[in-house]
Amino acid sequence: MSTTAISTRVGRELSAICGTDHVTEVPPETVHGCAVAVAVRPGSAAEIANILRFANQNNLAVVPVGGFTQQQTGAAPAQVNILLYTTRLTEVEHYDPGDLTIGIGAGCTVGGLCEMIGTSGLLFAGDPPAYQKATIGGLLATGITGPRRHGYGGLRDYCIGIHFVTGDGRIGRGGGRVVKNVAGYDMMKLLIGSWGTLGVITGASFKLFPWSPQKRTFVAGFATMKEAVEYRSAVLRSPLDPMCLELVSPEAGALLPGDQPPGAWSICVRGTGSDAVLARYRSVLGEAVDRELDGDDEAAFWRAVADMPYDLWSQHPQSMLLSFTVPLSDVFQVLNDTITIAQGNTLKVAAIGRIGVGHILAALLPAAGTDGNSAYVNTISALRNRLPHEASMAVLHCPDAVHKDVSMLRTPTHVGSMRAMKQALDPKDVLNRGRFFL
Amino acid sequence: MDLSSVTSDLRKIVGSDAVLDRAEDLMLYEYDGGVRKSTPGAVVFPQNTQQVSQIVRLAAASKVPIVARGAGTGLSGGAICKAGGIVIAFSRMNKVLEVDVENLRAVVQPGVVNLQLSEYVSHLGLYFAPDPSSQKACTIGGNVAENSGGPHTLLHGVTVNHVTGVEVVLPSGEVVHFGGKAAEAYGYDLTGFYVGTEGTIGITTAVTVKLLRKPEAVKTLLGIFESVDDAAQTVSAITAAGITPAALEMMDSWMLRAIEEYCHAGYPLDAGAALLIEVEGLREMVEEQAIAIGEVCLQNKAREVRVAKDEEERARLWKGRKTAFGAVGRVAPAYYTQDGVVPRSKMAAVLEHIGNVSKKYDLIIGNIFHAGDGNLHPLIMFDSRDPDQFERTLAAGHEILQYCVDVGGSITGEHGVGMEKRDMMPDLFSDEALDVMISLRNAFNPEGILNPDKMLPAPRVCREMLGPSKNAILAQEGM
Repeated sequence: MSTTAISTRVGRELSAICGTDHVTEVPPETVHGCAVAVAVRPGSAAEIANILRFANQNNLAVVPVGGFTQQQTGAAPAQVNILLYTTRLTEVEHYDPGDLTIGIGAGCTVGGLCEMIGTSGLLFAGDPPAYQKATIGGLLATGITGPRRHGYGGLRDYCIGIHFVTGDGRIGRGGGRVVKNVAGYDMMKLLIGSWGTLGVITGASFKLFPWSPQKRTFVAGFATMKEAVEYRSAVLRSPLDPMCLELVSPEAGALLPGDQPPGAWSICVRGTGSDAVLARYRSVLGEAVDRELDGDDEAAFWRAVADMPYDLWSQHPQSMLLSFTVPLSDVFQVLNDTITIAQGNTLKVAAIGRIGVGHILAALLPAAGTDGNSAYVNTISALRNRLPHEASMAVLHCPDAVHKDVSMLRTPTHVGSMRAMKQALDPKDVLNRGRFFL
Repeated sequence: MDLSSVTSDLRKIVGSDAVLDRAEDLMLYEYDGGVRKSTPGAVVFPQNTQQVSQIVRLAAASKVPIVARGAGTGLSGGAICKAGGIVIAFSRMNKVLEVDVENLRAVVQPGVVNLQLSEYVSHLGLYFAPDPSSQKACTIGGNVAENSGGPHTLLHGVTVNHVTGVEVVLPSGEVVHFGGKAAEAYGYDLTGFYVGTEGTIGITTAVTVKLLRKPEAVKTLLGIFESVDDAAQTVSAITAAGITPAALEMMDSWMLRAIEEYCHAGYPLDAGAALLIEVEGLREMVEEQAIAIGEVCLQNKAREVRVAKDEEERARLWKGRKTAFGAVGRVAPAYYTQDGVVPRSKMAAVLEHIGNVSKKYDLIIGNIFHAGDGNLHPLIMFDSRDPDQFERTLAAGHEILQYCVDVGGSITGEHGVGMEKRDMMPDLFSDEALDVMISLRNAFNPEGILNPDKMLPAPRVCREMLGPSKNAILAQEGM
């Protein structure tokens, strides 16, 4: 059957489920260069369940999508028959500022959520790249976090409830709207970071945090990465409890607003609290600090750090973005190996990272006049052999031409058990077929 | 069930001194901290992962149910074995395998006692944050199974927030690893999923936990109120002031008297309620927060706010809170502890409801709870020799939990579902949502060898579209 014929037939069925206004046949979007047969915008979990049952019965591949900011994550899907937008699911399930919790539809953007709660002096800890576009569903599916990861933990630490539809079309739920809850399996943990391969997330509840009115950022510059990592360890040993603790490489610093000392590796410490608390930060961080940021400049700096992954690949579609999670003691080795191997393959590296919790983001950029594709393949191949046993790695973005030649994910977790999970919730591999490594 | 050949094989695996099967020995393993009982057929004490794997293979081949047991302090029947089954007791797997100071991690065997881990690393300035009231006895393996909490989870989170890796024996006997020392790992977060599965997915044989640095400063306050309403209002006001204490505990008048008479913690005998509040962190911040909390208490009609002046007074205030259950045991023949959770804004309403339930069923109910996160522990006093009173106790407990569900809360915040609240799961989850969880359990434990009849009720949904629930991938791998 031709693509158009598939689109017409699938489009007719999906129109019966969601209404013709919410179905687009042969839409312009592509995923990793892969053409889409039909885009659909369901309005409820029940409609999503019907779409997925239909996909199961007809062996169709479905790619869930929110704000389209992270679709480059992982491998290219093998096929995309149905692009399933969750953007109509924006209902507030519950919100009482006194409870410090909110339940919201997966299609709400992170920016929309922040705006809603900001008037009550509350903070949503998630700070993904492009937060004005990124949706709650996409945030959870990719498990992506920003600099606040240091102070508030990952999404797994403050997502307290989740609604989803399994790949085989069952409407599931985990957790609830209270901050402490051990009734039933922790479906939040399973769905967060599953790259849309187990279920379509339709809504979630989160813990919120009090918004600290006063913040200040202390930037310490170092001639070498080793000194910067040692300074991180000293900060971790101190009594300070910063909101953010970020490493910025010289190449990454050049992309940030403000005057960055050229060639310097920076450790950026964001403290919150009263004048007395911030004075203590100044005293503990000591003479290594060569500048302080506050007010709008400070906020803009951290927004730019959070946005850097998205901005980099928007401006450099030929770049490759690697993300590592490693034990604290492996940060230096992993980043050093990445830089050494990449540079040996004529690539430039811009790195940032929440290295107080072992999270590193490294953007690889090709030398002028080259596409970098073979250098990427060689770098990933060499790097995988060098990574310590406990390290995990994901390719969050790479040129379409490279996808098929590199392995997108490395994990210390038992792969057979992951396959069992996939089999239990999406036995016909309907969701994001080919995206994961399973 | 004739277990004699199985126990004989168990002795071959672990040695003859590591298997119990005499009735008088088994009686000690027929209960936990809750109200249910069931006598196992044998209790086995493995010393290493390989032995656990062999025991699991033997049980699976013999189709004998097995349940892992730490210290048996659980309150939901999670460690109680189906009659005639095998209890794997972890008291001989109680070693701290590694302390990795640079990475702030410890790798421990499941039988390590919660408080002993903190004591073990104390000289390094480190501790393990989850602190259930039973922390002097309960084990890390049990904490992982139940996703246990404690007073200080308000700031630091529950067990799952402090576990980065687990070694697990699957029902097939295969030994697998989820996660490791990194804070998070790419791939499905099976570590996070596994914590709190109440022994229905696998048996934990090693746990990698986070260690935290001890805070530079700690201040402990006791706010004393004439009424529980004023105390509940203060809890909301502290949150509204932008302060997240490390712990925020409430006790009502009945509990205050019971505790004070038991251990002389310095609690008032004539107050309506008290809040035990702790703040910790940077010295300057702790000073400011303690002052701010004191002011909030007084603005909300506290009759007195005491600040512990030294470590000795702080320890005494906490001793009262942590020995509360022992204090109740002194004044009532038995008690039934509930573990409901409500949104914080429903605190005053749920306390009023508990008061009504107490009158309706003519039972004394004392309240002690983690007020900061809405996790209640109403203790219903009863005499187990009086069948009518026991029935009323169960009905009262059910009614309190039903109210928690009705206002958007949960039936358990930290004790687990176990046997006790399994029948209430449909009040919280649709049949289809439960079916999703059951399919995940069946992916690992399709025969129900591991901790059968716990947490998830029997399925009611007909899954026509999906065919048999047997997991093809695990079947391929011989599971």
